[in-house]
Amino acid sequence: MESLIEELKTKIIGGFHLEGVTPADINADEPIFGTGLELDSIDALELVAILESDYGIVITERSVADKAFASLRALADFVAANRT
Amino acid sequence: MSNLVIHAASYLGPEGFGNDQTGLRAWPAVLAGNLSRGELEGLHWSLLSDSDPSRFLRMDLMCRLGFMAAELLAVNFDALSDTRRDRLGVCVESFTGSLDTDIRFAQTPRPSIFAYTLPSTVIGELCIRYRLKGPVLSLISPDAAGASVLTEAAEWLRASDAEMVLCLGIEAINRSTVNALSFPEKLSARGWHGAALLVGLAEKSPREKQFTGGALVDACRKLCSAPERAC
Amino acid sequence: MGIALETAVNEPAIAIAGGGAVCATGLGLASLQRAVAANTSALQRRELVVGKTSQSIVAGFVPDETVAQLRAADAAHSDSRAFLFAAAALREAAENTSDILDSIPPQRRGFVLSTTKANIEALDNLVRRQPVSAIAQRQIQPSFLATDLAEAFDCRGPVQCVSAACISGLSALLQGTALIRRGLADVVLVAGVDLISQFVLSGFNSLKSLDPEGCRPFDQSRIGLSLGEGAAAIVLVKRELLSSPAILISGGGTSNDANHLTGPSRDGSGLALAIQRALTKADFTPEQIDYVNAHGTGTPYNDAMESLALRSVFGDHVPSFSSNKGIFGHTLGTAGILETALCMTAMQNNLLPGTPRLRERDPVAPASLLATPQPAVHVKRILKMNCGFGGTNAAVILEQEQP
Repeated sequence: MESLIEELKTKIIGGFHLEGVTPADINADEPIFGTGLELDSIDALELVAILESDYGIVITERSVADKAFASLRALADFVAANRT
Repeated sequence: MSNLVIHAASYLGPEGFGNDQTGLRAWPAVLAGNLSRGELEGLHWSLLSDSDPSRFLRMDLMCRLGFMAAELLAVNFDALSDTRRDRLGVCVESFTGSLDTDIRFAQTPRPSIFAYTLPSTVIGELCIRYRLKGPVLSLISPDAAGASVLTEAAEWLRASDAEMVLCLGIEAINRSTVNALSFPEKLSARGWHGAALLVGLAEKSPREKQFTGGALVDACRKLCSAPERAC
Repeated sequence: MGIALETAVNEPAIAIAGGGAVCATGLGLASLQRAVAANTSALQRRELVVGKTSQSIVAGFVPDETVAQLRAADAAHSDSRAFLFAAAALREAAENTSDILDSIPPQRRGFVLSTTKANIEALDNLVRRQPVSAIAQRQIQPSFLATDLAEAFDCRGPVQCVSAACISGLSALLQGTALIRRGLADVVLVAGVDLISQFVLSGFNSLKSLDPEGCRPFDQSRIGLSLGEGAAAIVLVKRELLSSPAILISGGGTSNDANHLTGPSRDGSGLALAIQRALTKADFTPEQIDYVNAHGTGTPYNDAMESLALRSVFGDHVPSFSSNKGIFGHTLGTAGILETALCMTAMQNNLLPGTPRLRERDPVAPASLLATPQPAVHVKRILKMNCGFGGTNAAVILEQEQP
């Protein structure tokens, strides 16, 4: 699970062009959106797109996304459970 | 009868970057070769400003060039009153438009790229950055001359639709993107550039110059290459 | 040679001499007007692969038989639907205005194209290494599509190409009026075209902007837009060249929200500003507007924002208004031209269009929303607006002269 968390951190840093942010800077238990990283609604959609292309997970319900994006750890659990 | 004046001009292209006051400066040696060949990956905000790059990294090449051209003008838009910014128009002209980004999106569709598959998005980015609400226009020119956008700006000023106009000429072609597909003509041969003119009516400020005609990009190159001479 | 800013004297009035269209209702303005009168939707459901997944998409596709018909008549452009559609709309417009066009030499005929992505399907095919004709590839670039169409319709005056997201159409119309006002042309053919493609579908799909069941503008339960494709054309002339009472473009305006890249400013102030600029240009007050044709895409944000903008401009007296995207979808670069052509036929038939696919009006939307078409004695002044990505807004005012 820890390696998946690190993998997701790297994708988020790269996918959202977070210059100067290292994986060590991201706390796995804090919300992904709404704090620190200054990500916006397009970034949330981008993450949905990354989950689809990189893990084969299709999210259609907003509520599913909200739960999965609650934190990086929550996201890792979600990916591990649903990846194809 | 009043004449169109240029309040500020800027340019960035293979030859270098600068404005009507600084003249053109050469790119850092480590980048110059790539930039002259049209490989633009190393083009970064920090090359011309220490200020916060804001949305720069999320933007596509066309918006980055527009952002940099506007920044190079060295105009303090924040110091303008709300009224002046409400009546500051923005127009952009490009031959290649958002083609570079279009190709990238067609290869890897991503929501963060999609909004940039439009040549007019650079207008949105600049209006957000500088809080401009004036008239807007985005033209794709039949060639890379950039002549017609200045005519439109003059029309806005004449009709009092705008007090000042930010005119942009952008060719955002990253050689590696475009050459992956063969287009009817070698688009990368046209070169890349970002050029900006802030035009308006005469205000007798020391920096302003009479505009005597010609295409936008040519005017910018001339003004930035020889900062002492009027265009 | 400077650019002198002389105050112009005696600026000519600009009229709409005629138009043409091809969209989800098929070929021709008459088929569009039939859908308006019957308040029906021409949106269709198709199972399409978007990206890697198969999806059920409801959109305003140009009917297969129409595409087949156009291809059969012009084999050279068979894989450039952008050219085929635009040419079809232009042909209808040119036929409807042949007297005027024939009387004006080609050097005095201008051309303005409005498009967001031109023949973008060819790019989809190139990237997938599928065969693409040289013409289809060339017309991926809007500038070439514009010059090719101008040449096909013998317009040897000034040619412009507007690509400004969803306000392209209205912006192109205003550019057309500017060319005539400045004396650069006596007639301008203004055409808009855009396609439903993998490119655009995957983009809007990734933004979760689409309603899988089809758009419901201004509806309480709306959840998204439906894409549309097609082309429309409008012929603009100096009013003095027409002998009977005409429909004029009396004014227009554009603005930027300066707020967010893909969502409109929440308070509608940017759109209100564009509307006010148009009213000022036309020298009309809000009370003088008889009908408003909205952008009305059916997304939760857009329609709420437009409702605010309407209230901001018109106060408690918002005129009758409607959105027609339930008929043909959001046609992007075509929208401004197609929807203006629809306003033109509304004036000619004295019938205000309704809002097809509306079930229950969102309480936020003004009560003057027309669910069904409404006959009018004389539709004198129409406000048409569109809003686009990047926070752009445009508004145009049409005026029908008294018969």
